[in-house]
Amino acid sequence: MSSILLKRAKTGSDVINSIHRQSVINITRSLITGPPSSTPPTHHHTTPTAAPLPSPVPLPFFSPDVSAQQGINNGEAKPLYVPGSQADRLARVSRMSSPLRRGSHESWWSGEMGWFNAVAKTIPTYRVLDEEGHLVKGTAIPEITKEEALAMYRTMTLIPIVDNILYQSQRQGRISFYMQCAGEEAAIVGSSAAMLEGDEMFGQYRESAALLHRGFTLDAMMSQCFGNVEDVGTKGRMMPVHYSAPELGFHTITSPLATQMPQAAGAAYALKLDEDRQGDCVICYFGDGAASEGDFHAALGMNSVLGGPCIWFCRNNGFAISTPIIDQYAGDGIASRGPAYGLDTIRVDGNDALAVLSAVREARKRAVEGKKGVLVEAMTYRVGHHSTSDDSSMYRRVEEVKEWTVVDNPIHRFRAFLASKSWWNETSEKDLITSHKSKVMKAFSRAEKLPKPKLGEMFNDVWGIGKGDEVPAVIMEQRAELGRLLKKYGDVWEPWRKERKRFVEEGMDVMDCDGRGS
Amino acid sequence: MASRAAVSKVLRPASVSARALSSSTTATSSVANKLVGRNALLTTPLARVSRSEPKWLVGAEQRRLASSDEGVTQMTVREALNSAMEEEMNRDETVFVMGEEVARYNGAYKITKGLLDKFGEDRVIDTPITESGFAGMAVGAALAGLRPVCEFMTWNFAMQAIDQIVNSGGKTYYMSGGNVPCPVTFRGPNGAAAGVGAQHSQDYSAWYGSVPGLKVISPWSAADCRGLLKAAIRDPNPVCFLENELLYGVSFPITKEELSEDFLLPIGKAKVEKEGSDVTIVTHSKMVTHSLEAAELLEKNEGIKVEVINLRSIRPLDIDTIINSVKKTNHLVTVEGGFPAFGVGSEIIAQICESPAFDFLDAPPERITGADVPTPYSESLEHMAFPDTSIIVKVLKRHLCE
Repeated sequence: MSSILLKRAKTGSDVINSIHRQSVINITRSLITGPPSSTPPTHHHTTPTAAPLPSPVPLPFFSPDVSAQQGINNGEAKPLYVPGSQADRLARVSRMSSPLRRGSHESWWSGEMGWFNAVAKTIPTYRVLDEEGHLVKGTAIPEITKEEALAMYRTMTLIPIVDNILYQSQRQGRISFYMQCAGEEAAIVGSSAAMLEGDEMFGQYRESAALLHRGFTLDAMMSQCFGNVEDVGTKGRMMPVHYSAPELGFHTITSPLATQMPQAAGAAYALKLDEDRQGDCVICYFGDGAASEGDFHAALGMNSVLGGPCIWFCRNNGFAISTPIIDQYAGDGIASRGPAYGLDTIRVDGNDALAVLSAVREARKRAVEGKKGVLVEAMTYRVGHHSTSDDSSMYRRVEEVKEWTVVDNPIHRFRAFLASKSWWNETSEKDLITSHKSKVMKAFSRAEKLPKPKLGEMFNDVWGIGKGDEVPAVIMEQRAELGRLLKKYGDVWEPWRKERKRFVEEGMDVMDCDGRGS
Repeated sequence: MASRAAVSKVLRPASVSARALSSSTTATSSVANKLVGRNALLTTPLARVSRSEPKWLVGAEQRRLASSDEGVTQMTVREALNSAMEEEMNRDETVFVMGEEVARYNGAYKITKGLLDKFGEDRVIDTPITESGFAGMAVGAALAGLRPVCEFMTWNFAMQAIDQIVNSGGKTYYMSGGNVPCPVTFRGPNGAAAGVGAQHSQDYSAWYGSVPGLKVISPWSAADCRGLLKAAIRDPNPVCFLENELLYGVSFPITKEELSEDFLLPIGKAKVEKEGSDVTIVTHSKMVTHSLEAAELLEKNEGIKVEVINLRSIRPLDIDTIINSVKKTNHLVTVEGGFPAFGVGSEIIAQICESPAFDFLDAPPERITGADVPTPYSESLEHMAFPDTSIIVKVLKRHLCE
C-alpha cells in the first residue's frame, strides 16, 4: 500500500515538474491586467485619459527644537473661543471643510478616546394626549376641525368591525387569508389623515385603515378579499388584503417584506423630478421587523443621498409575527437609525392619534420643503394576531393583550378627546357602531354573492400589450388549451361543471375564442 | 528614507544648498508620478483588459461586404447602446439612467459615456452601492410614471436585487389588475467574460426567461443592440436586457436605416443570420459569432449548409421561426454560453419536441452549452468551460455524420 502511494507521489511531482518546465520554456501568456506582451515598453507613469490626482505632500521631518518652538507659537497663535459659542462652532466647521473629512457633519478633534453608541441620548417619544385622553403638559393641540376629527374617528371605529367580520369569515373558510389592524388604528389613521390628495402611499399590509380613510369603499375592500367580479384593483389575482388603488395613490401591496421601501424611494425621486407634482409627497409604511431587512437600509440610503419627498413611517408594534422587538434589534429602536442616514427623525406615541397627526403633518412639511426623507417611528402594540396563519397566544399571554386594550386603547383615548371638546357623546357612539355594523354586513354579503371575474382574466395583463402588438403566443396557446379542455370536459365532469358556474360567463369567454383574449 | 530626508531639507530653507534642491525636486516629482500611476491602476475596476488577442467576430464574407457597400458603416456595440439610450432620452423626458458609476465615471464599461454631460445629474444618476436599493427605486419610479434604465455593473450583481426584478417588477402589472404598468429596463453585461472567475461569469437568460411578466432580450450585433434597446425602453413592460461584455468593443456593419432615430426591432422575433438547408443552429449573444464562424468553416470544408438563428429575444421566445427552420433542415442544435441544466437550449428543444416540427427531425436535437461547473478562473480551464467555433464544428459534424 505504502509503495503504491510513494509511486503515485512520485508521478505527481513528475507532472508538476514537467508543467513547470513547460511554463519556463514558453511564456506566451501575458499578465492578467498588464498590456499584451507585444506592446513596446513606455515610460509613462500616468494613463493618458486619467486626470492627474493630487499627490500627497510628504509630512515635514521636524527636528526636536523646531517642534518645541512651534508648540509655543501654536499656543499663542491659536484663537480661543468660548466653548459652544457661534464663533467656536464656525471655527470648527471651517476646520472640517477639508474634502478629506467629508462624511461627518460637524466633528472636531479630541485627544480623548471617546466611544459612542447613540447619536445623542435616548430619543424621546412625542405625545399630545396621555392614556386617559388628557392633554400632556407643555404640548399644543394640532389644528383640527370637528369634521376632520370625526372622520378620523369614524375610520378608527370602522376598521375593527371590518377586521372582525373578515377574520371570522376566514376562520369559517369563506376567504383564504386575512390580516387585522387591531391596536394600531391611531398610528395608521392619524398618519393617513395628515396626507393630502395627490400623495402616494406604499403600504406593507396592515394599512387597510389608511386606505379606508383615503376613500376606499367597503364594497371595494370586500370585493378584493373575495376576489370577485367587482375587484377592479387586482381582478382576483391577489391574496386578500393585498389591495391596489392607483386612483387613490395607493400602490399594490407586495407580500415579500420591505420591498415597498426602495420603490417608495423611487416614487419619491419621480415626484422630485416631475415639475407638475411639486408639493406632493410619498408615505411608506413598514414594521419593526421589516426594518431588519436589507431593503430598509437600501431605501433610506438611496433616499437620503438622491432625495425626494418621502415619509418613512414605522409602525413599531412590538412583534414581527412572534419575534418580540427585544429579539429584533439592540439599539434605540428604529428611530435611532434615521440620524445615521441624515434624516430628520421623530419618535411618536403611536396610540395617540393627535400626536401622530401632528408629527406626520410636520414630517410632510419638512419632506416636501426639503425634497428629502423624514423618518417617523410610531410606538404602538399589535393587539391582533399577525395574520390568520398565526395564533399569538403561543408566544404572549392573552392577559397582556387584554391589558393593552384596556389601559392604552387608541380608540378610547381619541374618544376621550372628542368628548372633552363636546363633539361626541354616548348616543352618537351607539348610532355610529350600529350603522357601521349594518354597512359592513351589507357589503360583506353582497361581495360574497358576486360571481368571480371572467375565467380568461387569468391570462390577461401578464404583459402590457402596446398598440398594434400581438398577444404573445405563449399566452394565446394557454388560453386556447384551457378553452379546448373546457369544451371537452366542462359539461361532463361534475367538479368542473359546478366550478364553472362561479365565474362570469361560466368560462365561455375562453371557449369561444382563438386565444387572443377578450 | 533617503528621499524623505531630502524632502525635509527642502522644507528647511536655511540649510538648503543648490545641489540638494535640484536633487530633491527630482526625487519628489518621481514619487508623485509613481503615486499617480498606482492610483490610476487602483481605480480601474476589476480586470477589464481582455486576455486574448482581439478576434474578428464576424465572418470574412460579411467583413468584405461591409467595406464594399457604401451605405454601410461600422459601429461598436458600445456605441450602439450609448446612442440608443441618448436618443431615447432625447425623445422622451421620462427616460433616465441610474446605477453604479454610470454618471461621473461614464459607466464601468463606458456604456453611458457622455450622458451626464448631456442630460445632467437628475437624469443620469450615480447611486450608492446597493443593488436591491436602486433596482427597487427603478421599479418604484416606473410605477410612479417614469421610464428608468437601470444599469447593473454586471448581471451577476443583480442577484442581490432579484426580488425587485422578479417579484415586484415582473408581477405588479398582473397583480394590480392591469392598472399599474412598470416600464423599466434593467441592463448590463451578462454571461462569461474573460478571466473573472465563477462569481462574475454566469448567464442569466434562463433565470429571467422563466418569469412570466418579464421580457428578456439577449442581443448580438450593434444593430440588435440599437433596435432592441430602443424598443425595450419604449416597451410598457419590465425588460431584462442581457448584454455581453466581450462584445462591447466589437464593430459590426450597420446600415443607414439602422442608424436612424426611429429604428426599432420587434421584441420576441428572432433573426435568421445565415440561411442553410442541412442543420439549424439556434443561438444568442456572443455564441452567434462562433456559430457563424463554424457555419462558414463547415460550408467551405465540408459543404454543409448551416442555418444560424440569432434568437435576439429569450422571452417571448420566437418558436415559430425555429419550427419553420427545423422543418426545412430536419436537424436542430442549440448553442449557448450558459449552463446546460434547465437552460435556454433545454427549453427550445422541449418546445420543438412538443411541436409539429418533432416529426421532421432526423436526429435527436442537441445542446452545446457551457460546462456544468462553476466557471473556473484559470485561463486554460475557462477556455474549456465554454463552447467555441471548433467545438461547434466538431459537434455539428458528428451530429450529421453519425
